[in-house]
Amino acid sequence: MKKNILTKAATVAVALLIVSGLSACGSSKNHVALTEDGKPESISVMATTILTENNGHAEFCAEYERLTGIKLSIEKPEHNQYYEKVGITFAAEEPADVIELGSTYYPSYAAEGVLWDMTDAWESSDLKASGIVNEKYVEGMRCDSEYAEDRIYGFPNQRGNGTVTYARKDWMDALGIDTPTSYEEFVDMLRAFKTIGDCDVVDSNGVSFKDKYKGQTVYPLTVSGLISTESPYEIYLREFYQDARPDFHYDEDQGKYVDGVLEPEMEAALVRIKDAWDEGLIDPQAVSNKTSTCRDKFQSGIVGCFNYWAGTWNRTLDKNLKQKDPTAEMIPLPSFDPEKEYYIERPAVAYVITNFCEHPEEVFENFILYSHDDGEGELLFTRGVEGVHYEVTERDADGNIVSAVALPTMADANTDFEKSFYDAALTITTYKDPIEVDERIVNSLAVFDEYSILYDMPIMDSTVAEQLPDVETAKQQLLTNIVIEKMSVEEALQTYSDATEKQREIILGVLNGSDE
Amino acid sequence: MSQPVQKGNYDHIIVKKPPIGDRIKRYGWFYLMFAPVVIVLFIFYYAPMYGISFAFYNYKPNGKEPEFVGLANFQKLFTDPTFWSSFKNTLIISTVNLILATVTSVVVALLLNEVQKAIVKKVMNTVLYLPHFLSWVVVASIFMLLLQPNGLLSNILYSLHVIDADALAQTDWLTQKKWWRFFFYVINRWKEIGWGTVIYIAALSGISLDYYEAAEIDGANRWQQTLNITLPSISNTILVVFILNLARVMNIFESVFVLYNSAVYSVADVIGTYTYRVGLKPTVGLPNYGYSTTIGIFKSIVSLILVMVTDEISKRVRGYGLV
Repeated sequence: MKKNILTKAATVAVALLIVSGLSACGSSKNHVALTEDGKPESISVMATTILTENNGHAEFCAEYERLTGIKLSIEKPEHNQYYEKVGITFAAEEPADVIELGSTYYPSYAAEGVLWDMTDAWESSDLKASGIVNEKYVEGMRCDSEYAEDRIYGFPNQRGNGTVTYARKDWMDALGIDTPTSYEEFVDMLRAFKTIGDCDVVDSNGVSFKDKYKGQTVYPLTVSGLISTESPYEIYLREFYQDARPDFHYDEDQGKYVDGVLEPEMEAALVRIKDAWDEGLIDPQAVSNKTSTCRDKFQSGIVGCFNYWAGTWNRTLDKNLKQKDPTAEMIPLPSFDPEKEYYIERPAVAYVITNFCEHPEEVFENFILYSHDDGEGELLFTRGVEGVHYEVTERDADGNIVSAVALPTMADANTDFEKSFYDAALTITTYKDPIEVDERIVNSLAVFDEYSILYDMPIMDSTVAEQLPDVETAKQQLLTNIVIEKMSVEEALQTYSDATEKQREIILGVLNGSDE
Repeated sequence: MSQPVQKGNYDHIIVKKPPIGDRIKRYGWFYLMFAPVVIVLFIFYYAPMYGISFAFYNYKPNGKEPEFVGLANFQKLFTDPTFWSSFKNTLIISTVNLILATVTSVVVALLLNEVQKAIVKKVMNTVLYLPHFLSWVVVASIFMLLLQPNGLLSNILYSLHVIDADALAQTDWLTQKKWWRFFFYVINRWKEIGWGTVIYIAALSGISLDYYEAAEIDGANRWQQTLNITLPSISNTILVVFILNLARVMNIFESVFVLYNSAVYSVADVIGTYTYRVGLKPTVGLPNYGYSTTIGIFKSIVSLILVMVTDEISKRVRGYGLV
């Protein structure tokens, strides 16, 4: 009898716990008062690609408060756990007022209807009227939510940027190769790179390439994965994918959404990849390589071609490469067919304001727009705090900064401070950076700008999202079936088609409405 | 006339417990000392079980109330071919790994037990034991280097004329479907064999030397002594360890996660990696914790069944079980 009562009591307790756990979910706002001049007293921010705590985090917040009168509290979780932490704060109904979201997560949260619609605030803003913002990037943030279509729920923090193909200029010179102007020339260059270990030409230090690479394996081209695990799937092997788009996208000619994997352009791309793989032109560890492995290989001097981020990464790769081999040189390759083999600019990373923010208009005005003001705000959000992160070297008669130099970071005296929130080289406004930018960064961004195309936000719909993981797995297997299992391209595509039939039917059904 | 009391059977004797108040008074300090354990157990083990209810909800980290979907998550799970493929892989990889772990650990423990010199025994034990303390990420990096194209294994096979120059330059062993599981088992044994032997060595040291002396007098050789004395003496330990490990077979994740790649999904993707990819860290959309919970419940049920089946087998074979 007693046991029975105890069992019943335990059951009731657990049931109450469950009910209380679930019923705790409800919406509430982050309570913040407004000051007399209509500004929020404080703003909470959660971000990941920002300055670290030991690099002047507190000084940044203090300077922001001095300039705006608003207290700033910034949470910066570990980078590899960032989106889990963001999810937890939403689940706990305690998200920050402002959150940084990448191009995959931004439309996902927007679709859920938990982000503040900033379209009207942006349209009526002084910043938009001033014309200093490159609106292409703001318009690129438009997406659908469960409440409205084609609205702006996030503001780009900087350009989305993308990758360019870097090649070893010293190898090209030693092998007598000019910048490739066609796919055939590009493949010929890779073939020649394969023989760099047999090259008798000497470098500027008088060491022949033959001696330099004696006993070492060189890779004409390295890559992490033959197809990316997230959109844009074709971002890395640009010379091979060209106009193939292995995702679900709207095809203008057909007037409907299609699965790009099963389009003729993809078949041609797969043939190019297969041929290059069979010839040993692509790193045989491409399937299992991590991005860091590829970087390490390139920086250790044994790789001829590597597609990686334009901008700051050009300088980093070059610096590390030269540490290993001072005579090594790398250049970003221009596109050989801009119509097809263009570089991809990813949709920008967004700063969003959550529905939990009590004063979204004021936060938008005083945090997001302020950070793109082409003035003190943008200087703070790019170069940090004067005397802490940079030093002014020249001012004009009005006291405006004409030039400045970056100071060493607080954490490492051998490294100059680069950015507080946004990369000055990737700003979306007409902002002129007072600090001279490294030539390598400028060069790679110039090549990227000339040959890149801004991609749309990934399609986001909960039904589509549910089906995509299996399709993505099948995409990975499509490539490995071709290069590892040695299936023919037709056979591998048929296997993909069979494996994803159900998912494709659902996805295309949603995207094309009742047409499918 | 009183009933004769049957010797050894005390079932008829009813011991009346003192009232709870008296017991608390008498054993108060014991209850007090036990209380933290009960509280911790409740807070960290039982209270979180309310999360099981999420299996019946679509629960995304979006700040909204979870949406009740009934058995939809279970329906999705059971109709997903990728899940069943990962379930099959989990059972195969874990079971083979468990059997290999048991056999190799017992064999190595027996061999170590035969080593006479204490210092040699200690050194060998330590050498075998050390890899256990390496993280899986480090172990994966080491073996990826050994198994990469132009790596140590390929070079050995090339020098033995087992593979040609093309295979030497191109073969990444961990991307080969037919070889992946083999290397997985080898790597697992290399890392964990020392850890596995510790318990058996302890069990072996508890066997009375009298048995061996008697067996020697009876003319039994070392092999017969091993078969008839050593193994039966540690069989209980083997079974306990086996059952404890069996309860964890569905939890395999880290070792697979660091060693697998997209080329071997069909033979390597286990429930843990599948859950991570699809349920917890999808590349598109927000994770659905409800679906992840559904997978978790399924894993727990399968683990429970495995343990109960093994326990039942133990009862039938040996006359008693462990649970």
